Amino acid sequence: MSNEPAIRIRDVSHRFGEEGEARNVRALTGTSLDVARGELLCLIGPSGCGKSTLLNIVGGLLAPSAGSVEVLGRTVAGPRPRDIAFVFQENALFPWNTVRENVDLGMRFQGVARAERAERAQRALVAVGLADFAEHYPAQLSGGMRQRAALARALSLQTGILLMDEPFGALDEQTRMILGEDLSVLLAATKKTIVFVTHSLGEAVFLADRVAVFSARPGTIKQVIAVEEPHPRKPEFVTSAKFTGLRNQLYGLLHDEIRKTMSAESARPATPGALS
Amino acid sequence: MTERGALRRALSPATLARLGVIAALLVIWEVGARAFGDPLFIAPPSRVLMGLGSVFGTRGVPGALGITLFELVVAFALAVAIGLAVGLVLGLNGFARASFMPMVLLVYGMPQITILPLFVLAFGIGPTTKIVFGVTHGVFPIVLTVVAGVQNIKPILLTSARAMGASFWQQFRHVIFPHMIPSFFTGMRLGMTGVLLGVLLAELYVSTAGIGFFTTQFTQNFDPVRLLGLIGTLAAMAVVLNAVMRGLEAHYARWRD
Amino acid sequence: MSARRLGVRIVQVAVPAVLIALWYLATTRWGVSRILLPNPVAVVEALKNVLATGEFLPDLRVTLLELAVAFAISATSGVAIGFLISRSGYRIRVYEPLLAAIYAVPLILFLPLYVLWFGLGPASKIALGATISFFPVVLATIAGFGNVDRVMVTAARAMGASNFQLFRFVLLPAAFPVILAGMRVGFTVALLSIIGSETLASLAGLGHHIVELSENMEMPRMFAYVAFVVAIAAVLNLVVFRLEAWGRRR
Repeated sequence: MSNEPAIRIRDVSHRFGEEGEARNVRALTGTSLDVARGELLCLIGPSGCGKSTLLNIVGGLLAPSAGSVEVLGRTVAGPRPRDIAFVFQENALFPWNTVRENVDLGMRFQGVARAERAERAQRALVAVGLADFAEHYPAQLSGGMRQRAALARALSLQTGILLMDEPFGALDEQTRMILGEDLSVLLAATKKTIVFVTHSLGEAVFLADRVAVFSARPGTIKQVIAVEEPHPRKPEFVTSAKFTGLRNQLYGLLHDEIRKTMSAESARPATPGALS
Repeated sequence: MTERGALRRALSPATLARLGVIAALLVIWEVGARAFGDPLFIAPPSRVLMGLGSVFGTRGVPGALGITLFELVVAFALAVAIGLAVGLVLGLNGFARASFMPMVLLVYGMPQITILPLFVLAFGIGPTTKIVFGVTHGVFPIVLTVVAGVQNIKPILLTSARAMGASFWQQFRHVIFPHMIPSFFTGMRLGMTGVLLGVLLAELYVSTAGIGFFTTQFTQNFDPVRLLGLIGTLAAMAVVLNAVMRGLEAHYARWRD
Repeated sequence: MSARRLGVRIVQVAVPAVLIALWYLATTRWGVSRILLPNPVAVVEALKNVLATGEFLPDLRVTLLELAVAFAISATSGVAIGFLISRSGYRIRVYEPLLAAIYAVPLILFLPLYVLWFGLGPASKIALGATISFFPVVLATIAGFGNVDRVMVTAARAMGASNFQLFRFVLLPAAFPVILAGMRVGFTVALLSIIGSETLASLAGLGHHIVELSENMEMPRMFAYVAFVVAIAAVLNLVVFRLEAWGRRR
């Protein structure tokens, strides 16, 4: 296994809108980070701090205003379907297709040959525990199951890197817990490199090898904390002192940033851009 | 829904009551027409039904009805083809949409009936006029619903497809097109209503041939039996066509909430 | 203005301009039959003439009268009947599908029947206009009153509201925007039905006049009248639209 980082983020900044336009927002500023192969890195921070923006930039869905990203040694200049797969928070399954058809379609877009697709789809569906629901439509499934399906689609693409943008954000606490545990087991087996955006402190500590804490907007990485605990994480880990200590550490780092973001929201003038 | 469930719903108390209301209205019509009705102006439903034979027996009526049906089918097919093509272009191309949508809406809002005499002058009293008038009425709802169906797609679906490596053609075929289908069928239902209106208006206007000739004749001859029979047949045709479109629409919109 | 906005504006101005230019050329240079397409200049002249002499007035009066009476009938009966039906869920389930089904039929088919009954005068137009525009009003009224949130009714009753107070302070304000929208549709539909029935079978009115002009091959004047009627319809629709918006804000 190479020692080169899977992802190299070099001094990335991003601004939405033009200088002087009403919509001008500096989302991200001077962010640099390396993500090692096989690592699960969490991005956590207050709303609007640019973590989703960074994820989209890493995945090639957005071109950064400044800086660059290298994935597996090559600069990112657009989507890299063979190297990078996404799981979004919003339900991105196609509602007119069954679960199996959704998984199959993802591979079609990637360019996988027909002969391989059926087998890969079945394996992915079994891995996420949806084999019995493969012929269902997304509308017939619960939120948790839909996200499992989205994950199956991403896994079937067999990319080295998985980018997950608050995949469990729309789910209730209990479903999150179960899905988190299942994800940890799954990922221990596949050795993918994963960048995972979340709002939840507990989720970050439970899943991540390292957690990058963002500052308020314009966001940059304030600190990176290491969670040294082998995968797959056991449910007991959540109640351990180590877990609590790390969680408290994150809380301390984030609390001020969250307060800053909230007061910036309420102090914002009625017409955006009036202050600039 | 299960077979039993659908049947139970079809025979629900409200449905039975509705059938009762319809039956009551028919009875009132029957009794009223027989008792008070001047046979020059009104005929009871029983006589109309029995008179259907003579309506179809009138020389030229079946032919006129057949031609009308032909006009409806052709006009609908053209309206769908044109509406779908224009709708897709406007839906997919932001510049075209911004430029031409206002014009489309403007023409759609215009009372087209005012230029019907012009159409007749241009295309004559034959099927062409009726087909063209049907198309101009039916094409607009289709264009608008297709544009909406393409526009309303959740951006995350296209982002997701793009992230997985879909080309534009793949995005169109596997994401945009399936998403647009329910709206398209709604548009076709509305388009059918429009085509019916356009074709029938044109037919009724031309009083020298086709349906218009016979409605004029039955009116001038004070023949309510045959007039009601003819109108009833056309209304029944309209009801059936609408029901078919509704059925198709419901079928293809299954995956929508 | 961004480049794209400019491009859009250019297209929106250029297309009609090009069409008018083609129209002019077709009639003056390319020998398209005057029977079909009059010279646009002649149309403008005819329009000025029509407006100046006021010859449109008698027909306009007829059409507007028919419209007013037809809409008055359909609006009042539509709201009244719609309200009565909306009082019980059962009644709604019985009558609403029936009304919706009838509305789906092209009711213009009944014009010959009305002509048989009422002749070629205004009465048959009013009858058809009232018949057709009744349906959007009644269906909207049923929807408006029928969909009032049960919670509001319960709250008002709990506070001791009488039937009249419930109607005036809860049902009516809640249903008002929907009913108003239905009336707008009803008005538009009434106008179209009346012009349509004047075109098909009448002795007077704007629709009839257009037919008369086309039969006499007076093309420039006919086109002028078409433009006039389109303008009247647009103005009426705009007025109705504004009224609806104003009514909604109250």
